[in-house]
Amino acid sequence: MINFSINHPKRTLWLMLGFMFLCAAFVPLIEIDTDPENMLSKDEEVRVKHNELKEKFDMHDMLVIGVVNNDHPEGVFNQASLTDIFELSKYAYTLQTENEEGEFEGVIQRDVLTPTNSDYIASMGDGSIKFDWVMSEAPKNEAEALNIKKRLMENELFYNTMVSEDGKALALYLPISSKDQSYTLADQLQTQIATLSGGNDYHITGLPVAEDTFGIEMFIQMAIAAPAAMILIFILMMLFFRKFRLVLSPLIVAMVSVICTMGLLIGTGNTVHIMSSMIPIFIMPIAVLDGVHILSEFYDRYQETGDRRKTIEGVISDLYKPMLFTSLTSAAGFASLAITPIPPVQVFGIFVGLGILFAWFFTMTFIPAYIMMTSEETLADFGHASEKGHDGLLGRVLSTFQKLTFGKAGLVVGLLAFLTALSGYGISKIQINDNPVKWFTKSHPIRVADKELNDHFGGTYMAYLNFDASADEAPFSKETLWTAIEAKFKGTYNETQLQEIKQQITATQLDTSESPYVQLSDAFADMAYENEDDDDLFDYYESISDAIALREVEIQQVFKQPEVLNYLLDLEKHLYDEGGVGKSTSVAKIVRTVNKKLQNDQPDQLRVPSDVGGVGQCIVSYQNSHIPEMLWHFVSPDFKSVNLWLQLKSGDNKDMEKTMNVVNEYIANNPPPVTLDKSWFGLTYINVVWQQKMVQGMLEAFLGSFIVVFLMMIFLFRSIKWATLSMMPLSLTILIIYGVIGWIGKDYDMPVAVLSSLVLGLAVDFAIHFIARSRASLQKTNDWAVTSKYMFGEPSRAISRNVIIIAVGFLPLLLANLIPYRTVGLILAAILLLSGIITLLLLPALIKILGIKK
Amino acid sequence: MKIMKFYSIVFCCLLAFQLSGQELTIEQIVEKANKAYRYLGDDVKSTAHMDIRDKNGKTIMERELVILRKNTGGLNQKWYAYFKQPADIKKMVFMAWKVDGKSDKRWIYLPNLDLVKRLSSADKRGSFAGSQFTYEDVTGRNPKEDTHELLERGEDFYKIKSTPIKASNVEFSYYVSWVDKKTFLPTKTILYDKSGKAYKEFKMLEHKEIQGFPTMTKFSMTDLRTKESTIATMSNIEYNIGLEEKIFTEASLRRAPRQYLR
Repeated sequence: MINFSINHPKRTLWLMLGFMFLCAAFVPLIEIDTDPENMLSKDEEVRVKHNELKEKFDMHDMLVIGVVNNDHPEGVFNQASLTDIFELSKYAYTLQTENEEGEFEGVIQRDVLTPTNSDYIASMGDGSIKFDWVMSEAPKNEAEALNIKKRLMENELFYNTMVSEDGKALALYLPISSKDQSYTLADQLQTQIATLSGGNDYHITGLPVAEDTFGIEMFIQMAIAAPAAMILIFILMMLFFRKFRLVLSPLIVAMVSVICTMGLLIGTGNTVHIMSSMIPIFIMPIAVLDGVHILSEFYDRYQETGDRRKTIEGVISDLYKPMLFTSLTSAAGFASLAITPIPPVQVFGIFVGLGILFAWFFTMTFIPAYIMMTSEETLADFGHASEKGHDGLLGRVLSTFQKLTFGKAGLVVGLLAFLTALSGYGISKIQINDNPVKWFTKSHPIRVADKELNDHFGGTYMAYLNFDASADEAPFSKETLWTAIEAKFKGTYNETQLQEIKQQITATQLDTSESPYVQLSDAFADMAYENEDDDDLFDYYESISDAIALREVEIQQVFKQPEVLNYLLDLEKHLYDEGGVGKSTSVAKIVRTVNKKLQNDQPDQLRVPSDVGGVGQCIVSYQNSHIPEMLWHFVSPDFKSVNLWLQLKSGDNKDMEKTMNVVNEYIANNPPPVTLDKSWFGLTYINVVWQQKMVQGMLEAFLGSFIVVFLMMIFLFRSIKWATLSMMPLSLTILIIYGVIGWIGKDYDMPVAVLSSLVLGLAVDFAIHFIARSRASLQKTNDWAVTSKYMFGEPSRAISRNVIIIAVGFLPLLLANLIPYRTVGLILAAILLLSGIITLLLLPALIKILGIKK
Repeated sequence: MKIMKFYSIVFCCLLAFQLSGQELTIEQIVEKANKAYRYLGDDVKSTAHMDIRDKNGKTIMERELVILRKNTGGLNQKWYAYFKQPADIKKMVFMAWKVDGKSDKRWIYLPNLDLVKRLSSADKRGSFAGSQFTYEDVTGRNPKEDTHELLERGEDFYKIKSTPIKASNVEFSYYVSWVDKKTFLPTKTILYDKSGKAYKEFKMLEHKEIQGFPTMTKFSMTDLRTKESTIATMSNIEYNIGLEEKIFTEASLRRAPRQYLR
């Protein structure tokens, strides 16, 4: 293979470029995926359930427009502000188009939650009840503006959802048919907002907007950070080698590797997710590593021989094994991510691994070919002879390292052991947490909106809790029916009457034509009409008939039972008090609100009526509004399933987990009156689930790749002793880094989690090179004192160059606007520097102390 | 005899000529349609079954109610709608008095809460018991609230555009009806929202002649945006049964006239 490229350099070049263009042809098919739901695979149970429940309760993703006015004493509740809001609401309502299939896209008009499109229920002075739009037209004066505020504040369903707790701000909720329209819609809204002059501040937020921003940031990331990394690496290499033509070759390898990898990624039908958008910047610095090793060696040896062919053959044969193994270990470290349960992380791991193998292959073929194509004259002043000696900063640092590890080996190992112990404690303090909103920088409009809205409203992070009672239904029996009927009429009818009812129930023949309740109810209804002329008898039979029919409703429509609704209210209260929930909305709250309004707005009537009929009548009263279907967001039409809409005060996963625990504890301590199955859904919950999966998955991935790399080391060094030694620096680095994360209180989130496996793959490279060279030298000298001096010369310089190149190569990630990119960039750079330093300190010190010779 | 025959032919021709020349005006059409749809007989009793369906066409709720209606002179009417099904809203009553030139008076009786509530006149466009029909669809909209324009005189229908005089009271900007030339029943009505898009559709599905009156027996209302629909089926229709006016009072909300409710 290498002979081929040395003998046929031009053909090698054309073959490589041909392959690259083949892969590059797929790039235009790129499909960006910003949906955080995709952190879980499509058939993941939690996600299937999430979608099923979203469909069941007709929930959609929402754009939220927060409107505040910090200048007016009444906030937005003044004529000018509300007039603007009225215009904006009206405009937002029209943001709907019909596609070719006759389906409506954009804003889902019916579910829009704005004062203009929401119904309020009011108890009028004359005892009548009224459903009306909260703001059917813009207020004509300040009094009307305040009236609109009153309508919202007095209604439990709007309070802290549409109108803020302090009565100063409004939130407009615009459900949209699909997330990918949010950017256009937000844009149209912004344009409209620019025409308004009422002095309001508008904050467009909501997850769909955030996701679109991800998409844009991802492009910026790929278009700016990756090329920036390349330029930085180029500058560094120029500093090290000062030969433009030669330095160009590893860069070409890196670029070709990136293009081939991304082309294959896209060509195999994968979407580009936030994780995979980082692939180029990961491949870039790693891809130049092998090239740097070849160049370093070539640089040191060329002037001795003056023959490019001989030099390159010698260099390749010496470096072949360590380079193959460093590439394999790096690839294995990344590929281990494939065993995490998070699809985007899997794709990321597999393709970075693949990219590293591409880079290795192109380094082994293209770089020799490139050197062969470079004329001897051009190479004439390349290498050792032109260097000004080893007394640069790097040389001085390395010489100090040599003295330390040789002279004070015990102290070095002791210090590192102490650091490790400290880190162990730090790790125990690690806090697993994430919050996608915090992925944006503090000044980003989404973070600003988040803060502004949370200042005013009870909570802006949505979580949904579903209770399902389908499993509860008991089979019909006349005995249980009789027990219920007897309990109901015990005080009303005398023993003779009760016996007659019991007999009639027993005697009635039931068939399968209709429900047994209906048949029994009809039987008593017939008896009532047989006594049509006798009021008392008619009422007596009819009351039994009605009670039996009602019993069926009670049993089947579980969420019309007052005790079940009261249970929900108690749970909601508990969540408000202790569960971090700022506001919740449920069918139980709808029922009690309607009841209060029906009962002339008496405060003590804010309660669920005492019987199923009362509940049913509150519900049908609510359905007399302009938007009766609003109800189906909170309860299924069969009343067997409910949806609690919880507004959390924090979007942190740890806070969502706390809320979940509070619910579990509450249910354990206060069993519900009927059997209820509980399911969470909504993005806040999905985030928690994939985080939990990720933490577990990353640990497995790390242990898996640790073992694989260890086995590879045993195979490479054919010595358990050396293999164990080679794993020490990276193990220490990882412990220290996670220790620091624990100590400084940085949340263990997605980017932090993926780092452990990456470090494993990269940090071991330094150890491989160090050990391989040390052993080779020891075999010749059989004296660590001599070898140590040699090792801190050229070999350590090559390792250090690599450490610096790769660490600096990740720094352009700091240019990104998304925090996870920055975290990865900063921590990776730190880790690589640290692992380089630890390698150069720990390995020689251990070799000295343990007296290892071979 | 021949002359007689001749004259009678001439007379028939003249009559036919005169009839065809005497095209109905838009006002006459609207008035006849309103009478044919809402005012048949002196009074009527019927059982209505409402099948409320979701966007997939699946029935999610059913309602059964007995509707009593009495004409009380001119365009005035009294309505009494008694809920029989489902059991949790049984005995609930919706009552309305239509007085020409004034807003309707409407009441609702909620038996288990022991409440009789007046309903504000403002929300006549609210849903009727969770269906796609509004209160106004049940008792009828006074044609005097709209201006009417004859869009087309078809072979067997009139196509009429009706525009509300007070636009702020309603959520539609106008509606277009197809009125059958023979029965004067509306076979279809489409409502347009404020941006001019069709959003609701009423359809007559069946009609029958009962006691000589062409009567609509099955009809539907569909939300064109959400595809949700309600299908109403009328049965046990009896005209001119001599309903007393005292049935249509607040007192009888709590004490329903059971002889009509079987």
